[in-house]
Amino acid sequence: MNILLRLQELFSPLGHLVSYILAYIFESLFLVIFVTISLIVMIYVFRKYMARVQQRIGPNRVGKFGLLQLIADALKLVGKENILPRNRDDLPYKLAPAMVFVSLVLAFTILPYGDFFYLGSFTVTHSEVTIILLFGIIAIMPIGEVLAGISSANKYALLGALRAVAKDVSFEIPMMLSVLAIVMMASARTPSSLSLESILSSEFLPYGILEPIGLFVFFISMVARASYTPFDLGESDSELVSGHSTEYSGMRFGMFYMGMFGSIFLGSLIVSILYLGGPSGPLESSLGFIWLIIKAAILVLISFTVWLSMPRIRIDKFINFGWKYLIPIAMINLILAGIITLGWGL
Amino acid sequence: MIEVKEPKKRIPVVGLISGMLTVSKYMFKKPVTVQYPEQKPDLPDRFRFRIFLKLDDCVGCTLCEQVCPNHSINMQKVDRENPRNKRKIYPDVNFGTCTVCRNCQEICPTEAIYLDKEFETARTRNSFTYSPEELALKENEVIK
Repeated sequence: MNILLRLQELFSPLGHLVSYILAYIFESLFLVIFVTISLIVMIYVFRKYMARVQQRIGPNRVGKFGLLQLIADALKLVGKENILPRNRDDLPYKLAPAMVFVSLVLAFTILPYGDFFYLGSFTVTHSEVTIILLFGIIAIMPIGEVLAGISSANKYALLGALRAVAKDVSFEIPMMLSVLAIVMMASARTPSSLSLESILSSEFLPYGILEPIGLFVFFISMVARASYTPFDLGESDSELVSGHSTEYSGMRFGMFYMGMFGSIFLGSLIVSILYLGGPSGPLESSLGFIWLIIKAAILVLISFTVWLSMPRIRIDKFINFGWKYLIPIAMINLILAGIITLGWGL
Repeated sequence: MIEVKEPKKRIPVVGLISGMLTVSKYMFKKPVTVQYPEQKPDLPDRFRFRIFLKLDDCVGCTLCEQVCPNHSINMQKVDRENPRNKRKIYPDVNFGTCTVCRNCQEICPTEAIYLDKEFETARTRNSFTYSPEELALKENEVIK
């Protein structure tokens, strides 16, 4: 029994159709709030973590331990004047940040969160092909970045967008190949192997143990997807001001910023669902959500450490890395998955 | 002939991981930031800044005025009964030009002029010059 059915039960005096519509609306609202709060917490944790690593204190003035700093920042961003470049392409310029943020929130609706005590699962969309849906929605985000880069009529933004495209084409293929290995292994055990929930329910060991190479490739792809420091080619703040978001200010910039942190969180969630067993753990009947969040939080901390410890890779080096190393490694992983599936019948 | 050594070949990922470990190790170290107004800095033992004057000990010898390298000290007439200071002249100090060289403290024959640890001399004022009476007072008692 998930949260959708519980809400529908609550609204059931209003009739079948109306109650389902209301339940979907309320659950989506709930999910948007969940995503926003988790982003705020993540940005706060990142700033504190970065400060401690650099032996500073970090935000500590607004509220106790600076807990309200992010809310103050958000209010500042909302209150700022929107400065628009004169030669912009108006519609894509205004559409791009919304595209990034909306596709981020949409991707959160698909993930299987596991049960949380009485409330049940938070998942909004139930489908037989959630993996295809999920990676389809994730593929919308770079389009927003490219639109932003092209429509702001700025050479830095354009160069940033070009670099982002070059980055995207080099890591998406190994990412999908490593997902394919999982689907292949799941297909031996379940008929609907494209659904995240049936992949989770049919696994007997987390796929990260069975195919560590796939985990490695997929984690690197998720780092590149969120485009933070080793692979922040679209932003390149030392030479391209701030890449595709150069001409943005106010809340539109805030959407790009939140999209970046959100894709770190989303990437950690996807890695923990696909490779680390997701909501499974001891006492999994009611604590699945907690296990998932714990796994994702550890991955988020690892991602922050990666962010803070590495310099940016040069663009041609990254493309070499993607095409000459990641794709062959992902192919080897695929072959190994085939051997494990067919050879041992796991 | 100088032999140039080839750099050691390293396993690719090991360097990245050791860098990450170094970064995460700093998580458990104390921050070095001092939150100044609430938290006072830990000053060294021999730190001195503000110049003080004992009006009763000063004999008006003008040695401090003579030794001051940038003429921050000038003698002023003060109407005050002191049998040791018949000319009734005492030094004042301009902290706008004082470089805290401590020559005045060193030269003073009666140890009347001396420096101490007080350093928070910031306030709204017209002049940086402390009169002899103000030099005798503690920093929080001086009102300009």
